[in-house]
Amino acid sequence: MRASEQAMTIENLARLAGYERKDFAVCLGCKICGSVCTINDLSVAANPQALLSSLFLEKELKSDDPVLHYCTNCYNCTSACPWHIRIPEIVRAIKGKMGLETPFEKAFKSSVGIWGRVYEPYVFLKALPFLVRGGYLAYLTRWREYVNFHLPHKVRNVGGARQKDARGGKAR
Amino acid sequence: MRYAYYPGCSLTGSARRLDRGLKKIFAKLGHELCEIPEWNCCGAFEFGDRGALIELSKTNLEKSRALNAGEGVVAPCPACYKNLREAHGGKTQAVYHPLELLGEEVTGSLNIQNDLKGQVFTPYYGCLLMRPDETAIRNKEVMESFITRLGGEIDGAKVKAKCCGGNQFFINKWATEKLSHAVLEGSKGMIVLFCPLCHMALTSFSRDRKIVYFTDLLLYATGERTRL
Repeated sequence: MRASEQAMTIENLARLAGYERKDFAVCLGCKICGSVCTINDLSVAANPQALLSSLFLEKELKSDDPVLHYCTNCYNCTSACPWHIRIPEIVRAIKGKMGLETPFEKAFKSSVGIWGRVYEPYVFLKALPFLVRGGYLAYLTRWREYVNFHLPHKVRNVGGARQKDARGGKAR
Repeated sequence: MRYAYYPGCSLTGSARRLDRGLKKIFAKLGHELCEIPEWNCCGAFEFGDRGALIELSKTNLEKSRALNAGEGVVAPCPACYKNLREAHGGKTQAVYHPLELLGEEVTGSLNIQNDLKGQVFTPYYGCLLMRPDETAIRNKEVMESFITRLGGEIDGAKVKAKCCGGNQFFINKWATEKLSHAVLEGSKGMIVLFCPLCHMALTSFSRDRKIVYFTDLLLYATGERTRL
């Protein structure tokens, strides 16, 4: 891939998100996306419109931007937006480019790369240090109903490029 | 009717109960769910490259054609459902969430053994069954209709489409805890839902509230389960 295609530009990110620059350029700057954003319920100020503006103004994105860190993919922003702009898709594209993934997310992709499916026991074990550090084991008693051991099934015909993408954790 | 069935990864593991319940209910309604052979993960929300994400679901749609299940594809997990809907682009067979097929006219034909009188329920749809508009289910009160028809009381209208933060559970746990508490505190009674991730988030952070799948409720009503 050429360096110009890897740059964190609105053109490249829009393409990664499955759209074109013009699909995001229609933003009116009304900030309704920020007013309905679920992140506000965390008492954290979120401004997806400012993130979008930064891309158009070619400002450097901060990896600690609350929208990048806490977007829940709830699509409140898209529903409220007069143009139904797909903010969560562009957020996922930026996160992918920046490599902002937890060990759990990496384990998820690794499983898809190996078997073509998410094999939960593998994901749990691979992400175990992260789960221990994060205090997740405190919920084990409530997760009893989720324990369901079965052997993994390796899917035929997932597609080589897709498996490679999943293993590398990077966008093609 | 004969549907192609895409269970998705969680329904083969942690959400096995939803898988079994759904199959039982569809069988009671006279519908056949034929699992797509060699289906692969839809990628959920883990891919920044939407082209790669869509391709995963397109592969599943291609595999489903081998079944000749003319009625379309059924996908119970809201994330899988959204990905499949966006991949099919209206050009191939229809993609349904089970809630779209379990409307009043359908569940009305079930042989009801237990009513829901004296019980309070919060039908919880979360995010992806309600948004974005292009893939949202059309009847956004389908669970309410069934519960009230059987004499149950409804609560939690203000939180039914709020986010529980499930998507952040393995990223920023505190965020999921705060958002799930808002859903739990803004509602009463048993929470009835259809999303495996919402089920895990709300179960993890609820102290004494029961969180059940809609299929559990249908199985209880039809006498297949003795209690909720």
